[in-house]
Amino acid sequence: MILRSCAHEKEVAALLASGAWPHAVASDLQAHAAACRTCADLVLVSKAFQAARARSTAAAPLHSPGTLWWRAQLRRRNAAVERVGKPLLGAQIFALVLNLLLVAGFLVAQARSGLSWLPWLQQLPQSALLYIQGFIASTDFTSASSLAVLIPALATLAILSGVLVYFASEKN
Amino acid sequence: MSWEVAIPNGFAGETPYIAEMPMDTEIFAGFYSRSARPLWAYLARVSSDPALADDLMQESYLRFLCSSAPEQLLAEGEVAARRYLFRIATNLLRDHWRRPRASSIDELPEEFFAAPGTAAQADSQAVLGPALALMRPRDRQLLWLAHAEGYSHHEIAQITGLASASIRLLLFRARHKIAGLLRKQSTTQGRKP
Repeated sequence: MILRSCAHEKEVAALLASGAWPHAVASDLQAHAAACRTCADLVLVSKAFQAARARSTAAAPLHSPGTLWWRAQLRRRNAAVERVGKPLLGAQIFALVLNLLLVAGFLVAQARSGLSWLPWLQQLPQSALLYIQGFIASTDFTSASSLAVLIPALATLAILSGVLVYFASEKN
Repeated sequence: MSWEVAIPNGFAGETPYIAEMPMDTEIFAGFYSRSARPLWAYLARVSSDPALADDLMQESYLRFLCSSAPEQLLAEGEVAARRYLFRIATNLLRDHWRRPRASSIDELPEEFFAAPGTAAQADSQAVLGPALALMRPRDRQLLWLAHAEGYSHHEIAQITGLASASIRLLLFRARHKIAGLLRKQSTTQGRKP
């Protein structure tokens, strides 16, 4: 299709947009629009669409802007909470990995020290009360190396249990 | 009662910085009352589905409000804000058409618009509805934006995302086609007893 432009096209379009067509239009321009295919199409289509717009806007169902505002506010909040939650999840994963490393380090340290508490564990079923003092003596809490391992281990366990409780509550 | 009061206090109190909207409620209400009807008309006419138009109009306003720049747009002028709103609606329409569906929108009936009205309205409706239904969705968009909303080629390019240079040709073709359909339909109707 060849694009045929008309010198009067812009003028006709402006008159149609302003609502001046056909009453406030010179007769020679009206005669031109009747003869020119491009302008005739423009007039026909513009008038049909303007009439359709008037009818459709009159039939448009309007909702409360307050409801829309409220919904948008909720959506923004949810998006913001989600944004805030992402780094928190990353921190949780980091803490979990760190704790696992600590546990692994603790186990390795215990394995190297020869698991001095194993004999106590084997004798435990016989009488926990009788051998508890033996356990305390075998672990030798007074030595600096055992304390250096025990305290982080307990802290790790405490943090791990906290993380587990948090994950469980998150799922709930 | 202001609208913010309707938000539960506990939730609102937790994160007050999140509740800040980049637009005033009264400004939005005014903008909505002036722009909602033309937007609905555009969506209803282009999609041929008033129910879909209703949904998409609400979604358009939600996205408009959730965007980071509505106040800035209104500061530029309501024309810019309205153009942005039409752009959101156009993208939503495009997303809707891209989704797999059981039936084409071209197959949807036009009797949604058969509300009682004046004789002139009924005549215009009877002619434009079927003609518009025979056009491609993109052509409907272009024709509506140009001839119903009065947007310039540059503005239509901004709304639709099409190249500004191609709008003129696309619009010329679409106008030529629908003008032929309108003439044909008016001739057919004139022959009917």
